[in-house]
Amino acid sequence: MVEGLGDALAMKVKVNEIELDLPAGTSAIDAVFQAGYDVPYFCSQEYMSPIGACRLCLAKVGAPRKDRGSGEWILDEETGEPKIFWFPKPMATCTTAVMEGMVIDTKCEETKRAQKSMMEFTLINHPLDCPVCDKGGACELQDRAYEYGDGVSRFAFDKRHQEKHHALSPLITLDRERCIHCKRCVRYFEEIPGDEVLDFIERGGHTYIGTLDDGLPSNFTGNITDICPVGALLDSTSRFRGRNWEYRHTRTTSTDDSSGSSIMVDSRTGRIERVKAARHTKINHDWLDDGTRFGHEYVDAPERLKTPLIKEDGQFREASWEEASSLIAERLQAASSVGVAVRADATLEEAVGAHALAKALNGAYDYYPKTAASVVPDAPQATFDDLATSDAILVISDLTEEVPIADLRVKDALKGVTPPEPMAHGIPIADLRLKEHMPKKTDILTVAGPYHVDLMIYAGRKLTYDLGHEVALLSALLNLAQGKDAEVAGLGADRDSLNPLVNQLKDSDNAVIAYGSWVLGSAEATSLVNDLAEAVDAKLLPLAPMANSRGLELIDTTGDNVLGSASALLLSNLNPAQDTQLKQRLEGLEFLVVHDCFMTETAELADVILPAKTGYEKEGTIVNLEGRMLPLTAVDVDGGGSEDLTGVVKALGDALGSRLDGRSVRSARRKLKADWEIDLAELPSEGVLPDESLSNHFQASTASSSPADVNVVIVPTMVRPEYLAYNPSLETAHGALSLRVHPDDANKYGLPVGERVKLDVSGVTRYLVVKEDNRVAPGLALVPALPEQPLGLAFADLQRAERAPLATPKPPAPVEPTLEVSA
Amino acid sequence: MSDAVADKPQAITSRHDPRYQVTLYEHVGVENAWTLDYYLSHDGYGAAKKALTTMQPDDVVGEVKKSGLRGRGGAGFPTGVKWSFMPKPDGRQRFILCNGDESEPGSFKDRYIFEDDPHQLIEGLIIAGYAIQATKGVVYIRGEYHKGYERLVAAVKEARDAGYLGKNLFNSGFEFDVIVHRGAGAYICGEETALMNSFEGLRGNPRMKPPFPAQAGVYGRPTTINNVTSITSSVHIIRHGANWFAGMGPEDSRGTKLYQVSGCVNKPGVYEMPMGATFGELIHDFAGGTSEPAKAFIPGGSSTPMVPFTDEYLSAPMSYDGIVEKGSMLGTGGIIVIPQEKCIVNFMWNCIRFYGHESCGKCTPCREGVATWMPKMFQKLVMGRGEPGDLELIETMSDNIKGTGFCVHADAAMWPIDASIKHFRDEYEYIIEHGVSKYPRTTWWKD
Repeated sequence: MVEGLGDALAMKVKVNEIELDLPAGTSAIDAVFQAGYDVPYFCSQEYMSPIGACRLCLAKVGAPRKDRGSGEWILDEETGEPKIFWFPKPMATCTTAVMEGMVIDTKCEETKRAQKSMMEFTLINHPLDCPVCDKGGACELQDRAYEYGDGVSRFAFDKRHQEKHHALSPLITLDRERCIHCKRCVRYFEEIPGDEVLDFIERGGHTYIGTLDDGLPSNFTGNITDICPVGALLDSTSRFRGRNWEYRHTRTTSTDDSSGSSIMVDSRTGRIERVKAARHTKINHDWLDDGTRFGHEYVDAPERLKTPLIKEDGQFREASWEEASSLIAERLQAASSVGVAVRADATLEEAVGAHALAKALNGAYDYYPKTAASVVPDAPQATFDDLATSDAILVISDLTEEVPIADLRVKDALKGVTPPEPMAHGIPIADLRLKEHMPKKTDILTVAGPYHVDLMIYAGRKLTYDLGHEVALLSALLNLAQGKDAEVAGLGADRDSLNPLVNQLKDSDNAVIAYGSWVLGSAEATSLVNDLAEAVDAKLLPLAPMANSRGLELIDTTGDNVLGSASALLLSNLNPAQDTQLKQRLEGLEFLVVHDCFMTETAELADVILPAKTGYEKEGTIVNLEGRMLPLTAVDVDGGGSEDLTGVVKALGDALGSRLDGRSVRSARRKLKADWEIDLAELPSEGVLPDESLSNHFQASTASSSPADVNVVIVPTMVRPEYLAYNPSLETAHGALSLRVHPDDANKYGLPVGERVKLDVSGVTRYLVVKEDNRVAPGLALVPALPEQPLGLAFADLQRAERAPLATPKPPAPVEPTLEVSA
Repeated sequence: MSDAVADKPQAITSRHDPRYQVTLYEHVGVENAWTLDYYLSHDGYGAAKKALTTMQPDDVVGEVKKSGLRGRGGAGFPTGVKWSFMPKPDGRQRFILCNGDESEPGSFKDRYIFEDDPHQLIEGLIIAGYAIQATKGVVYIRGEYHKGYERLVAAVKEARDAGYLGKNLFNSGFEFDVIVHRGAGAYICGEETALMNSFEGLRGNPRMKPPFPAQAGVYGRPTTINNVTSITSSVHIIRHGANWFAGMGPEDSRGTKLYQVSGCVNKPGVYEMPMGATFGELIHDFAGGTSEPAKAFIPGGSSTPMVPFTDEYLSAPMSYDGIVEKGSMLGTGGIIVIPQEKCIVNFMWNCIRFYGHESCGKCTPCREGVATWMPKMFQKLVMGRGEPGDLELIETMSDNIKGTGFCVHADAAMWPIDASIKHFRDEYEYIIEHGVSKYPRTTWWKD
């Protein structure tokens, strides 16, 4: 038995009449598909271990044998060829590795009979509710039953009756009757995110999948609805909303975080009904985090702005684009200084437009949020695949929340198996290097953070440093790497444990350091991490704060800080009015235009509001955190009169009487090609990673000084905080934005646990639900980031938290029963 | 039968042979035989001392290979060869696992070793552990064996306190300790890879092979799994020598073995006999003959195919290959004698309910066939609702289940069904035609 695909040994294998040369360790099922033949299968799944449970892929398999004495092949007396010894039983091709001279016969009666009988067994307990099943039309079992089944059932008894609508979590509904026990979902949780939250319960014919009492505590639960071969696991947000053949499937790139994950958006009658993972072999494989998957409901929220609004006498009234744009053109031309600011998930094309617009108005352009230092490293840039194949990883981030897909790729690295190479039919269906319950190589991973982050569970080395000690940590590591002594106070580790880390990074040929906005928030820390990478010869993976932070840095790096300087502003998707100081500034502006999807605090201050498109509706390009250029494709969504920034630029250009660059995607691309040599005309759907990382570093501003008193860490969240209120399913499952404090602190400051409070966090007015968390150190509070309040440190006077219940009562989220009796 | 060489004595193949000596069950049934004092006064731990102080690990493996001992758990794989599959020591923890999850209906030989002679098992584990250089022995004991568990745990404690387990045993520098782990009542955990999963705290599902346990067993470490009596046999092989062991039984099956007799015999129980003795000798001479007319017997635990209770089969030797020629298997040596007046369809319904209930549910043919469809078919027949074609459906379904499952559980559930149809087709046809059994008394217990 040869293990691993690393061995380049070629094996001659014959599938029916097709002869193949395959690397040792290839599974027989992949040989069959490589040859262009087909066998049915349910339990195997790309990127997961083969287990041979469904038995559908049975086939007649044989191989020649060597004589024990002479070591020569035993020859067939008639033909003189090596004699094929057929295995006595049909073999499950997914768990059988190819052998030299192996013969696989998928056409013979024996194979067909075995497959047909397995299909019969699979179907005896599967309900006949395809006409009302959401999976109908896109169901592996349905397809395979047509192809390999008998069409009639000999099973004349009652089928198994089990629960039909079991809510595994607020996001996922399980129909236990439909389950065919392929175990994909159970293995998925164990092998991909490593969160063992689902398992089989009972045995034999009574087997069903279930959880412990607390649902599915994982950031990656939705993927099981993608891989379920039947309609047993369904996304609760899209259940009963449409049939598969009615959906329009649009492959695009998520703007949810900076990973640039590929998504398949299913829309119908102008609504997004669901988001599924689209395979990207270099980024997200077949997986998405729940924030990306379920965070789309805001697109169809009734509160969404769909027409331009003009403020008259303190009241907004609806207006046409022509009216709004001519008013804007007139007032902005009259303004003393104009600023155009966009949020960092705007596309490259939008940024070109915003830039041209600012120029046409003799104004300035900027984007927010902006890190203190460049998101493009000086040291070599790591890709996700570098991360997944590294054997020494240092993470300074709450990766599971900041860029969840990177968290999954770290877990790939812990398996110690390189990502599979695509074969003729795609990713291998059964990668025999992967096994159930593989030991995780946790010793290659070090995770550092100012509090206990989730990824630390899998880390061989955990560094919980004191607040704001990123610079201290990195300079200690750098000193140790340069053979100097280092100060280690407050780093959550002693010198003896930091030395092995530095040595591990040094000794490794493919070390990767991934760092998020806690480091990027400080120019000094960022420069130290670059020095460290050079000292230990590591690659760097900076986690850019938003989907196109990296692309926008490329387009313009002047850093005009228009929010603080201009006297008239056009803000796209930004909500600075949450900051008390900025709100005062905005109130004093000559003119304020807000381009947004919702009536935000800032929009309420605006003179004109323009309705904005969401990331799903845009055509354009983003650059992910690796530097990969990825296309956005517009999904068919009824956004009313909303436009993206290129539309705004076109309208305003018309009103100004000039043809601005970036008035359309095409015009922006012409400009990108002319000025930045970026050719986006034929960008493939999986994007392009330029050979030389496009770099246009901005000069790091002098680090914004942290407030003197700090007690708050601004932490990343997988969900987009700005849209959470309009994503009811996600909000139910993950809770509202929370203020996480230690139970003792909640007592000390009299914080009402489970209730919403209004709290001033370093000048930004935040509405947060108080949550007790034992893992938070006493004296510390964790507050999720906003685009307007990026990751870092802040101060909040917890004593001044005011109760601020929601005006409109929401349906109560499921709460655990408590024994407390209310007074 | 072995070819007797002129200067070699004829192999012992009958318990009537005066040279035959009971070893495995020598102390079973004796009061206080489970204590260390009793065991030591009967040359206890002598074999372990001999192995550890006078033999190299490879010599122990060689001795067991030479003895011709084959696995007593049912499959009959040569024990010494299995031990030699272990990779060279590489610093990783190695395990010797003792499969004491004796759950096959008709098997109860290990139970009395746990209860009356646990030190014999501990000594066997020390020898086996030494042979494969494992420092941890694990006894996976069937959960229902409560008395056996208590006796074994007490014995382990006694042995530990007396220095027979721990570091530097017999001043040989060899370290060994025993973990006793109780099963939770699942038959499938007697399958070696499912047993490893269960021991690790995982669901009792069989694992994929390869990797075989010797490469990656418990916690991914090199592991050897043996049946209780395979391990205890090694004690006597070391004590009396391989030649003594090889002097019993025919060529393919050497040594002495425990046979269990149940069903309609006068003296059901466990009998230790040399391999190669006949079923007739066991049933008539030792188990006291049948208590009522019998029509069939199962030679090796309920999963082996039944054979008719005729002289042709009774005269067959109880050896691994001898019974295969007659269309059945020796299995664990659990013989069940089936009375004439017992309805075979009812009997098989009982059997298939057991196998269905014990299916782990991992693979499709077993979960849907063995655990769901087949019991329903038998229930239908037994309830008098059989229709023409049902028997044929059972036969084709059995064909579809055999050879397609992940482990042999599905096959093991089908073999007895096939055999019952082969030998007693008339009873099936009768019940389908008449709606009632040919032998309506469904219990053979006296009214």
